[in-house]
Amino acid sequence: MSPILVYLATLVVYFFIYNIFGFGLNIQFGYAGILDFAFITFMAVGGYLYGAAALPHETPGSQIYYVLGLSWSFPLALLLGILGAGAVGALVGLIALKRLRSDYLAIVTLASGTLIYGVIGNFTRLFDGWEGLMGVPQPFTGALNLNANTFVLFFVLVSGVIMAILWFFANRLYRSPLGRAMRAVREDIDVAEAYGKNAFKLRMTAMVIGCIYAGIGGALTIAFITALAPAGWSTGETFVIWALLLIGGRGNNLGAVVGSFLVAVLFTEATRYLPAIGGNPNLIPDLRNIVIGVLLIVTLRFRPQGLVPEPKTNFFAVPLTSRVLRRVRHEEVVGA
Amino acid sequence: MPEATPVDRGTPILQLDQVVRSFGGVRAVDGCSFSIDRGSLTALIGPNGAGKSTVVNLVAGALKPDAGSIVYGGVDITGVVSHRIAGRGLIRTFQLSREFARMTVLENLVVVARGQSGESLFNALLRPRLCRREDRVLVERAIDVLDRFGLAAQRDMYAGDLSGGQKRLVELARAVMSEPELLILDEPMAGVNPALIDLLGGHIESLCRNGITVVMVEHNLEIVERICDHVVVMALGRTLATGVMSDLRSNSEVVRAYLGERLDEPTVR
Ligand SMILES: Nc1ncnc2c1ncn2[C@@H]1O[C@H](COP(=O)(O)OP(=O)(O)O)[C@@H](O)[C@H]1O
Ligand SMILES: [Mg+2]
Repeated sequence: MSPILVYLATLVVYFFIYNIFGFGLNIQFGYAGILDFAFITFMAVGGYLYGAAALPHETPGSQIYYVLGLSWSFPLALLLGILGAGAVGALVGLIALKRLRSDYLAIVTLASGTLIYGVIGNFTRLFDGWEGLMGVPQPFTGALNLNANTFVLFFVLVSGVIMAILWFFANRLYRSPLGRAMRAVREDIDVAEAYGKNAFKLRMTAMVIGCIYAGIGGALTIAFITALAPAGWSTGETFVIWALLLIGGRGNNLGAVVGSFLVAVLFTEATRYLPAIGGNPNLIPDLRNIVIGVLLIVTLRFRPQGLVPEPKTNFFAVPLTSRVLRRVRHEEVVGA
Repeated sequence: MPEATPVDRGTPILQLDQVVRSFGGVRAVDGCSFSIDRGSLTALIGPNGAGKSTVVNLVAGALKPDAGSIVYGGVDITGVVSHRIAGRGLIRTFQLSREFARMTVLENLVVVARGQSGESLFNALLRPRLCRREDRVLVERAIDVLDRFGLAAQRDMYAGDLSGGQKRLVELARAVMSEPELLILDEPMAGVNPALIDLLGGHIESLCRNGITVVMVEHNLEIVERICDHVVVMALGRTLATGVMSDLRSNSEVVRAYLGERLDEPTVR
């Protein structure tokens, strides 16, 4: 199989996974206005739990340490990742969302993320510390008799289906009365409360759902690339997801898709494989972050709603006259 | 508008007893007591800084009192959080217009309807048809309310793009949409032109006629005298007097504290 095809398929998988991150952060920030600066942490929780559950029991003397080691199948390990990310999200939400002010919230999420980063890095017994998990078995390869290349193609399908389902439910949530109440909280938390909305519960719901999305994306990441280490989920990675959402258009899941294509695929993943310029291997990654930063500033300055802004809700597009017409017709029938 | 419901006019719906709240050294509300009759339209007046907005915040649960008790509909609601109080039918508006700016006017109304089953996660994700059915009823009701407030043409605009006067109308329409039992309006006419003051006044009167008990904080004594049947006067965090407007004019203390200098001026703002 041509390496170009495999490379493109790899980019498509990354694209789908970043879409999931974009949806998750959009539910938290775009719907409910939560400034979550620890988003990538929940990706890591989902990823590590998936990896540790999918790996076989740790081999004594191998110098690689991790908990669990259950050789679980893809769906079971994924479920554990979902539950773990959701639970950690609920815990952080419990601390961060009790207070109303959003700057407080931002600081608490940032601090929680740093704390979890340090814990996972330093407690080597958990997920092999700074080295990270490696050699996580790629799912379905045995059952479907896949080789390294066909696995990539197959994973396009797996991640694509999961992404599509998550997109569907994110949109359904947006349009639902629950999503509407979340947006009211985003717009003005005091007023929403004054009209009987339980802002804590609404934001907690958005927080946990967003973290579950992050966890699913994390599980897919580690299942695909078979490894995950703290270097791959530093605070800077949260910034990439924020950038893609703000550039694409917060409050709009299509915006998250456009943003993830531009930011995560074009600028981040595609440039990863460019040859080093002038023998300086750090030049391209650094340039990449500068480009994303500039793109973000330009967007916020000239198109603050993002490339694909949040659409206006148009309930049923009831034309103004139809009611009047109906009233007239009713009067004719009744003979009033 | 629902049919005018028979209410036990005259029985108290809200009672404040010796309510105290300070901010640092300032006793913003300092032993405030009054009672609001069911079905009445009461004005809460008093000079700037008298503690009126703080009282509204205390009653609505946005602030907790340091002392005293607040009883609403026979139930002690002292210190209860605001969304619970709102759930019992006590709705308040804010002194400055605070619309949901990036939501349409129609959405601003639909979202505040109480008891929507689509606000549960299960129904939101798995029962879209139930949500749509409920929404349809709410949208029809919201359009009726908007019609009544002359906002039908603006319903698909972002509320944040409306003029100041229209925002005031949306605020009132939104409160109506939430079907309150007791509606507390904090300066609903602040900063609007005289024609709109009359319009808002008419709307507020008609809410009261339709069975909603209304308390409104207001500076404009002319409109207070025209539409309100009861008045509570506050100064320095305390209730100075309560009664009907004509009685208060003869109360020299009130005149001195508040009305005196203002009644001479034709514009009482
Ligand atoms: N959040 C607050 N923090 C500190 N002081 C406040 C706060 N809210 C109100 N105050 C003070 O309490 C007093 C009463 O204010 P307020 O209730 O807004 O009066 P009114 O609505 O009658 O004009 C004022 O002196 C005001 O400065
Ligand atoms: Mg005030």
